[in-house]
Amino acid sequence: MQTLEDRDYFTDYEILKDPYAYFEAIRAKGPIYQIPGRDYVIVTGFEETLEVLKNVEDFSAIIGVQGAAAPLPFEPKGSDITAQVEAHRTQFLGGDLLVNYDGQHHTFVRALLAPLFTPSRLKANEQFISQLADQLVRDAVTRGGCELIKEVSTPFVSLVIADLLGVPADDRQVFMDAIDAAPPPGSLESEQNDFSSATHPLVVMGSYFAQYVQDRRANPGKDVLSELANAKFPDGSTPDSGEIVRLATFLFGAGQDTSAKLLGNSMRFIIEQPGLQDQLRKDPSLIPQFLEEVLRLEGSTKQTARLARRDTRIGDLKIPAGTKVMLALAAGNRDPRRWENPQDFVLNRPKIKEHIAFGRGKHVCAGAPLARVEVRIILEKFLEHSAAIDLDANKHGPRGARILDYEPSFIIRGLANLNLKLTPAPGFVHSVRSAAPKAQRPAMVETVKGYSTAATKIGDLLADPATKALLDKHLPGVSSDPRIAMAKAMTLRAVQAFAPDQFTREVLDALDAELAKLAPQAR
Amino acid sequence: MAKLIVTTRDGETHTLEAPTGLSVMEVIRDSSISDILALCGGACSCATCHVHVAKEFADILPPMSEDENGLLEGSDHRDARSRLACQIRMTDSLSGLSVTIAKED
Repeated sequence: MQTLEDRDYFTDYEILKDPYAYFEAIRAKGPIYQIPGRDYVIVTGFEETLEVLKNVEDFSAIIGVQGAAAPLPFEPKGSDITAQVEAHRTQFLGGDLLVNYDGQHHTFVRALLAPLFTPSRLKANEQFISQLADQLVRDAVTRGGCELIKEVSTPFVSLVIADLLGVPADDRQVFMDAIDAAPPPGSLESEQNDFSSATHPLVVMGSYFAQYVQDRRANPGKDVLSELANAKFPDGSTPDSGEIVRLATFLFGAGQDTSAKLLGNSMRFIIEQPGLQDQLRKDPSLIPQFLEEVLRLEGSTKQTARLARRDTRIGDLKIPAGTKVMLALAAGNRDPRRWENPQDFVLNRPKIKEHIAFGRGKHVCAGAPLARVEVRIILEKFLEHSAAIDLDANKHGPRGARILDYEPSFIIRGLANLNLKLTPAPGFVHSVRSAAPKAQRPAMVETVKGYSTAATKIGDLLADPATKALLDKHLPGVSSDPRIAMAKAMTLRAVQAFAPDQFTREVLDALDAELAKLAPQAR
Repeated sequence: MAKLIVTTRDGETHTLEAPTGLSVMEVIRDSSISDILALCGGACSCATCHVHVAKEFADILPPMSEDENGLLEGSDHRDARSRLACQIRMTDSLSGLSVTIAKED
């Protein structure tokens, strides 16, 4: 019979339900374990994980997104493969994202983020977060319950990061739809782990962020995006705009699943731990400590990965260059050498903030301060407006025999859905829908007008066979260029700024002359 | 390259190469010294990179933000030379800066 530790973490739906049992089976083999028959090592020890995260010279973050099981795009050769990693960087999934960066380039790009999540910046956003949370929770309590993840958690965290980054209200629904339709990061179905399709959220959002960044560079304002778009690297040099676009897009995406799932995981503890919700309702100042213990026991990131780029060691184990290492953060957070009674939920553990749910070292989660604030605030609202929170037994079964679905991801630990029953607090009144922020789908009907390179989005030009034909005539090859998928929400005149040699004024003027001859279109 | 002199909690002194533009926290974190947790990664949010700066440098450092001041307020080991290492970016004029890692709170 196949034992638990012989199963494949990266594809197994049974492990998905209880990864902690799998990690304990691996831990029984030692804190660092070479899985027989597989080409990666799993680290379950707390100290050993810190050792790898700290050793940024010997370990590259390049496989952070694709994970330790996915193949390398090259055959590692010799005792130092740093040059090979750099030569193939763009062939790795997410190779151009901050999470996979190494060395000084990582430090420089990361430094651009530091001002975004300071206490004073979050304080400035707290009113928006609080209003939004209040409205969503009041609506849910009025209905007597909700499906927490899709109805509350995901729109909540999306709108919070959208507001923080200054994404215009009219565009937010497009972002949320793209994220909603996408598979989770680190999908158990490995063929889904592909960022190149035109509908992938990073591509969809990237086209919008390209516009915002270009606009903020031309007309800097006082918002966060202006600050980010015009930020300098620590050495005074200016990042290229693509770097800023990828960073902003990644921030938006990274804050999604993890924060949304943290709320779900927290809620499950609030419901299942006897007496806990009354304790927190009575003393909401315990919520931050509570959240840290949830992060330790059930943080929303189960694992990350590193690639040994030089011959090195973890503890006493020799690790040759080219070895892929899975760092089981969730296992380190339950390491009995570090945590007393590690499987137990204990409020107010000493030094609880030293858990590794957000990682540690130079790649430690940049959005952690935001996640802590937003989840705390919405939990306060849930406890304030309810007298009791329970799971819907019709959907999840009775206490002690719950049926729960988890997001099919080797990275994310989070519930796919959580159906709540909410008993209103005494005296609860559903507030009259006020000026509270609400996502509104932008009006789809625009005034009737003709096509032009300055006003019509590239996506619209491609959608109409008549205009696509003109585009192909004046700009051959553009309609089939994969990079154009990034720019569908932009106009050709906007793209001109990125590629002035290809999109010359003469060509665009000639195209405009022909576009003007077409009949006006209702769009 | 600028130099940074770091005294650890057990009193050992290390001289580190400190590339201009990097924060004192980043230079220490990426060295072999493991005294600094730097839990928030440089967002001025956690106070786990608390250091005491040498007297002769205390006055030429950039002024403290309210965030930094507020976080240091929560430390039992704050003194007149307390700073968060993530808020000090190395420049050529700071070469030779000497910091002592503060006791753990």
